[in-house]
Amino acid sequence: MRARTEGRQVGGPFMWLATAALWLWAGQAVWAQDPAATVPQGGSGSLKLRAGEQLRPEKIQELYRRILSDWSAGQTDRAPDELVELETTVAVDTDARTHKTLLAAEQAVIHQVGESDLEVLVPIAVLHHEAYRRLLQRGGRGHALALAHTRNMTKDLALLYNEQSGSEGAAVVSSRLLTSLGGLLLQGAQQLPAAEMFQKAIELDGRNVAALLALASVYEKNSQAESAVKLLRQAVQIEPANGEARLRLALNLRRLQETEEARQLLQALADDKDVTWTTPLAYEELARLYTDKGRGSEAEKVLRKAVERVPDDLRLRIQLAAALDRRGAPGEATAIIEKALASLPSQEAAASRYLYNAARPEEFAETRKFLDENSRSRFQVLAQALGTPQAETGTGVAR
Amino acid sequence: MSGHRLILAGACGLLLAGAAFAQVSVKIQSPAPDQPVFGPTDVEVGVRTAEPVSQVELFVDGKLRGTAQKPPYRFNVDLGEENVRREFRAVAHTASGATGADTVVTVPLQINDEMNLKLRALFVSVVRDGRSNLALEQDDFQVFDNGAPQQIVTFGRDELPLTAVLLLDTSESMGERQEAVRRGARAFLDGMKPSDEAMLALFSDRLLRFTPFTSDKKTLDSAIVTTQASGGTAVNDFLYLSLKLLDARQGQRVVVLFSDGSDVHSVLPASDVLWKARAGQSLIYWIQLGGKHQSFTSAWRDFKGNDREYETLENAVRESGGRTLQINRIEELEGAFRNILQELRQQYALGYYATTAKGDGSWHKVDVQLKGRGGRVRTREGYADY
Repeated sequence: MRARTEGRQVGGPFMWLATAALWLWAGQAVWAQDPAATVPQGGSGSLKLRAGEQLRPEKIQELYRRILSDWSAGQTDRAPDELVELETTVAVDTDARTHKTLLAAEQAVIHQVGESDLEVLVPIAVLHHEAYRRLLQRGGRGHALALAHTRNMTKDLALLYNEQSGSEGAAVVSSRLLTSLGGLLLQGAQQLPAAEMFQKAIELDGRNVAALLALASVYEKNSQAESAVKLLRQAVQIEPANGEARLRLALNLRRLQETEEARQLLQALADDKDVTWTTPLAYEELARLYTDKGRGSEAEKVLRKAVERVPDDLRLRIQLAAALDRRGAPGEATAIIEKALASLPSQEAAASRYLYNAARPEEFAETRKFLDENSRSRFQVLAQALGTPQAETGTGVAR
Repeated sequence: MSGHRLILAGACGLLLAGAAFAQVSVKIQSPAPDQPVFGPTDVEVGVRTAEPVSQVELFVDGKLRGTAQKPPYRFNVDLGEENVRREFRAVAHTASGATGADTVVTVPLQINDEMNLKLRALFVSVVRDGRSNLALEQDDFQVFDNGAPQQIVTFGRDELPLTAVLLLDTSESMGERQEAVRRGARAFLDGMKPSDEAMLALFSDRLLRFTPFTSDKKTLDSAIVTTQASGGTAVNDFLYLSLKLLDARQGQRVVVLFSDGSDVHSVLPASDVLWKARAGQSLIYWIQLGGKHQSFTSAWRDFKGNDREYETLENAVRESGGRTLQINRIEELEGAFRNILQELRQQYALGYYATTAKGDGSWHKVDVQLKGRGGRVRTREGYADY
């Protein structure tokens, strides 16, 4: 079931090198704005590199091989940290030439190990993805070059894998890699590069609902409802029960004045048997739709039903109180608010409206799990290519 | 039957005895018999007699409500807000023991006129020659409601109890400003009088913590101590909630909002807050940190939509009679809270019954002017007549 190559070798001209360099500079423009370095570099990591230490290309290659070896041996916690240590030590923001040294060294190793089996590109790409995620998590400040480098390594390895393999399974794996990468970019509020990742992911796999939703949300935030609707219709067609896709479709349709279809979608979502984070939003937006149309009594009816179904949602009660106030029933409105406050449960969880607007890591959790499984399933191949002992591998598969 | 005859005989005897005294003519000049009366009411009594008047007594619904020994015989009585028939009876006594009396019965308002009776409270800040601590009197003010001059029926300064909601944005965007927020809120609470009450509400995209209305500073303080910054921002929703809670309170009511105002996550549009500010009587003060509002986009609204929301919120603040305080540094927050409290203390509370009221929800423009010497006057710009 693994996505295997179809006879083509990875050892062809590494055109992605040029692309990577371009991406490198595009990324640097964004990240170089962060002045303070918060990522500990050198000395503290397991590679024992000193901050600012200048490594010869052979040394970089040696260390990179060692990291890949750790990764393939199942050292999934240590290896990404080692890669961060190596890349942040070599790629120094104050000297743009350092990224070329790093890229050339890593490329040389990938070239060597990729000769034997194209599948090694998957765990290597996932390793870079994980290093990028960790570097972002630590703030990434002062490491614009390293961040851009490892991100572009992930992207270019994903694209290379798909290009060289040509199989459907490889396209799916590459698509997921780009989706997850886009998710990380989105969490860093880098909408444009994120959108490019999602776009490419959809081109590779038109059934990638996570990418469809993510790209639609970028369009949505940039007032491109029409483009969002197109993607969301696709997502709903693939997963008719996907609440988020239906909700986003309804709201974007409403923005396009397609109110009747929006109303029907919202009503159906509100009527869903299970209450999820989209349920209060469906009620809220349905009520707003009625209010905007001057149908206050219907809005009130919707909100009364909503309060009954989602009794702990304070926002629904506030909205109902506002509707009652407008109708001239301020006493009941006050009673509803006071009652809600008297029994308000802990508000630890993020409110639905926040979730709708946020780039949430959990949106891409399934994608990451898929990537993790696919990476582990190829550890053995990578270990063999590196000539190192075989790893304890997982059982993940590519479609 | 015999008992009745005895009483009648006694009454005739008294009438005969009274004929020996000088005639005393008493007339209640205001209120008029057909006038509904509420709240603080002036009662004027005229007395005509050939001999000196020793005392005039005023009874309302059979209870003695005031006495006067010399003219003018004026009484100010607070009749409350009940819409009922009232009986005013004035009794004048002369030095020789003669008495005279007059009775006026006022009528309750017809139910469809009841909406006209809402006492409109205006909280007015006056700055003259750079000073706001002025000793102005009721007669120094003129109130116009939709251009029509109004009679000021209540007047005071720093007399009404203050009820405040301190609505503090503790979203991610506030981040490390938390400590300064705590200090600012504490400064406000420390300046409160025992009769004042406050509610503390800490919000982000959800209501993280709140207290009941209380004058217990320990309760209020404990809510500040445990604040955790998190989440997005929903100013409209929680500002509406605050205004709604203040509806049920009396006296001087205020919401002090500290937020950058970048409302991303509210379900209510700012127009609902504006409506509420217009329909209610609470003041809104908005402390903002930093420079001009930054445009932003979200999944809920685009740049223009968010800009409109921000402007509408600013209008709500201004129309309520409050104001927006811009501070450049977080260290200025404590001072801002103190300034607001001081300003509230120095405000004049003017009450009137709008002669122009119709209860139709229409917008009434309010104008307060100073008689005589000038000065800068700030109060709410008007109200929605509900």
